Amino acid sequence: MTPRQDRRGWLRTAAGLALGSTLGCDARPPGSQGRHLVSFWFAYGGKNREALQKLVHRFNTSQTEVFVHATFQGDYFEALAKLRTAIAAGAAPTISHVVGEVIPYLHDAGVLEPLEGYPGAADLGLVDALAQSGSYLGGKEKPLVGLPFNRSTPIMYLNGNLLRDARVPIPTTWEDLERASVELTRREPGGRVQVYGFECPISWWFWVALVGQAGGTVMRPDGYPELGGEAGVRALEHWQRMVHQTRSMRPPPGRDYNAWEVTNQDFLAQRAAIIVTSTAFLRYLEANAKFPVVGAPLAGDKQRAVPTGGTFFVMLRAAPEVDKQAAWQFLRWMMAPEQTIEWATSTGYMPVAQQAVRQLEQSGYYDKSPNDRVAMSQLAYAQPWPWAPNLFRVQRECVDPRLEEAVLGPRDARSVMQEARTAAVSDS
Amino acid sequence: MLRPRRASHPYLMLAPTLLMLGAFFLLPLAVAAWQSLYRWDLLTAPSFVGAHNYRYLLASGQVWQALGTTLAYAVVVVAGSLALGLLLAIAVNRPGRFVSFVRASVFSAYVVSWVSVALLFMWMLDADGGLVGRFFKAHDIAPTGLLSSPRTALYALAAVTVWKITGYAMVVFLAGLQDIPKELYEAAALDGAGRLSRFVHVTWPMLRPTTAFVATTSLIVSFQAFDIVRVMTQGGPTRSTTVFVYAIYEHVFLNLRVGRASAMVVLFFAVLLVLTGLQLWAWRSGERRAT
Amino acid sequence: MRESPATRLAVHALLGLVAVVWLGPYVWMVLGSFRSLQELIAAPTAPLPSSFRLDAYRQVFETIPVGRYLLNTTVMALLIAALQITLVLPAGYALGKLRFTGRRFAFLTVLACLLVPAQVTFVPVFLMLAKVGLVNSMGALVLPFAASALGTFMVRQALQSVPDEIIEAARMDGASEITIVYRLLGPMLAPTLVSLFLLSFVFHWNDYFWPLVMTTDERVRTMPLAVALLREQGTGVRWHIVMAGNVILSAPALAVFAVAQKHLLRAVARRT
Repeated sequence: MTPRQDRRGWLRTAAGLALGSTLGCDARPPGSQGRHLVSFWFAYGGKNREALQKLVHRFNTSQTEVFVHATFQGDYFEALAKLRTAIAAGAAPTISHVVGEVIPYLHDAGVLEPLEGYPGAADLGLVDALAQSGSYLGGKEKPLVGLPFNRSTPIMYLNGNLLRDARVPIPTTWEDLERASVELTRREPGGRVQVYGFECPISWWFWVALVGQAGGTVMRPDGYPELGGEAGVRALEHWQRMVHQTRSMRPPPGRDYNAWEVTNQDFLAQRAAIIVTSTAFLRYLEANAKFPVVGAPLAGDKQRAVPTGGTFFVMLRAAPEVDKQAAWQFLRWMMAPEQTIEWATSTGYMPVAQQAVRQLEQSGYYDKSPNDRVAMSQLAYAQPWPWAPNLFRVQRECVDPRLEEAVLGPRDARSVMQEARTAAVSDS
Repeated sequence: MLRPRRASHPYLMLAPTLLMLGAFFLLPLAVAAWQSLYRWDLLTAPSFVGAHNYRYLLASGQVWQALGTTLAYAVVVVAGSLALGLLLAIAVNRPGRFVSFVRASVFSAYVVSWVSVALLFMWMLDADGGLVGRFFKAHDIAPTGLLSSPRTALYALAAVTVWKITGYAMVVFLAGLQDIPKELYEAAALDGAGRLSRFVHVTWPMLRPTTAFVATTSLIVSFQAFDIVRVMTQGGPTRSTTVFVYAIYEHVFLNLRVGRASAMVVLFFAVLLVLTGLQLWAWRSGERRAT
Repeated sequence: MRESPATRLAVHALLGLVAVVWLGPYVWMVLGSFRSLQELIAAPTAPLPSSFRLDAYRQVFETIPVGRYLLNTTVMALLIAALQITLVLPAGYALGKLRFTGRRFAFLTVLACLLVPAQVTFVPVFLMLAKVGLVNSMGALVLPFAASALGTFMVRQALQSVPDEIIEAARMDGASEITIVYRLLGPMLAPTLVSLFLLSFVFHWNDYFWPLVMTTDERVRTMPLAVALLREQGTGVRWHIVMAGNVILSAPALAVFAVAQKHLLRAVARRT
């Protein structure tokens, strides 16, 4: 190499480094010049992601002060992981949204911004059962740190045609459901199942619903993880009976939301006659099914009960003041009836503003789309979560993995729940 | 060997490298060892717990499970890539455009990213929409998909891994084969040795160092597997594909137990050291026997 | 060694099968990327798509800023590869050609680093970089890999076949050590350096883990990450879109391979 070539090589490297370091810097998204930039991390894909991006875009174009930059971060758990590590690294966004179960923990760690002081926070007119005040035991007494975003309850979806052909009524109790799933299961001559009567992801949220229906509570307000006691065992045995004894239920394979996806696909492909999943997929299922989709409330046991699900908007305490003020404008806008109606009707999540619910009722929306009413009707017996910082950890580390084990194993439900309780209590 | 012009030269020349390596490889290891004595969730203050994390990991079986899973995976990957790599190397050790083309095809899998391969095979193995998956389902081999059954998921991952790295093994073996002097074969043939005998008595012994090298590389690749697990199975179903590195990632990112993750890191490093030591020892004694 | 036509045929048949097994999936991937969603669901195993549509690609470009991610990834890989060859030359020279106290220690230190994979170091490195505000920047992606233990050994090894006399002669000619390292030995070791550059570039271009843990938003997000995220959940995996993203992801690596095949193969076979 001649001296000149060599020097060029160095220059190239230096230029590269310079370029590289500038690439990492604040490249503002297009359209955001001169406005307060609010970073918003969100966590779902597909149709719901498109609906959200539409709303964000509308906010950005409807005013000129604030620009919300929404970044997709994967599913709820991925996004939460990124959020926590980003907080630790001092690189957190201004706002994000997290599942209800983790809010007590985040509040306890001091990373969430209290929202009462912001203009208009006191009269947002939110549906109590969906807002922080009604979603947690004692939620009213705690500082306001979360605003309901995509709120849901689990509902039953039934294949109208298969139900009609088998002359099976919509099940209202656990026994009804177990019977219906047997009657709806179709097998090939060789014995392989063609259509499963019932399918439901073997996962925390749906188990909590069963526990509530069987009369138990998952956790005491002081944080002691009862895990339903006897009801927790009953819930597992209900699933185990259908999976292993009558073999009329398919436990969908896959980790976390992969299993939810399989459940949806099986329903659409008419491989499962009845499924239980979130009301969030209502629009998607109705749009893609080649059969009438019938929505119904979950079956009851000793009583009817459902947990609420979905996420709350949270604002991060570490963000700069001006960003937080700007972000509040967006949050308040999202809580307005107009936005909550658009969000709810284009997805299947529930409208969180009281005004919005009234408007939908009056305009006859629920008469035209009765399935949307199912989730709303279940709010009458929605069970609040305990405000316990260890709730999320108990869910992810102690209960979720063991549910899978118990049902897929199968393992004796009582000993599995005992193990889970021991693990949750010791919390080592 | 030369004497340095000035005493400071060697140190100056090594400084940037040693500083960077130290800062990004060795220091973090020391920090991890220190962090393993604490309980920390990144958001609140850490609390000292001494050897608790180690005791918990060993007692709860998590370490043994991760180790066992990784070993099972590694065995299939190493055996598969060695056997296939050698077989293919012998097959492509001949001139010709077609042969060149095949050689390049097999090696191309090595050049693309793990994400690419993982996504591709996820689709292909899908029981409902994948070419291979539907075939298996139709023949009742894996009705819910190879990746959804705890019994087959890990081996499916191993098979995909073998698919990806066999090209590398093949190329290394090929170089090794081409290094064997033709005279040895001719001499053996003159002595009346048949094809198989020539392989056993000439090829195989001469390939020993190459075999050791490929085995070590495949072993290290298997132990560091992460991307394929993260994309294809996320450690499931029922933890059947939670290999060591994935377990560490889970502890940090999903469970937010930095202390426990650090303890796993220390244990993982110890395992790697032992493995490398074993490899070196096996190779050295092999060498000694050969000479 | 003569072989019978039967053996030759058998070997070629085997090679044909091998080609199908190794190229088949890619062909399938490309075909899949041109399908429509309905077709994928209705007839997943049909050999040829009934019509070639670019919908999937359009969706990919609409969902993610492909150009930006490709640029991020390429710049990152180039920077790493360039920094590596800059640093390994002097380090390899010192370890391979110079006598000094602590040489063995330095050698063992570099060796130790070969054993420590990125997956072991990421938490402390993440926290370290966070303290200096480098998380989610190009620096976080590049700096940890600027020094290469493997590369240092490759240079040291390659230098064994360079006679000391050449260096002594250059010294006597009045060349400074830096000149010797970069202007004399550098060109002599060109094959080794090219191999290292290529291997590093490809490896880091494809890296998923490090960008996954070091980036928090799209500013310096890399292509493998972005494509993996295409697998969105809940409303059905749209495989044709994922495959379109996959085609875009694999194309550059395969292009480099096609162009630099010989170098890459040689690098792997260590025929330098």
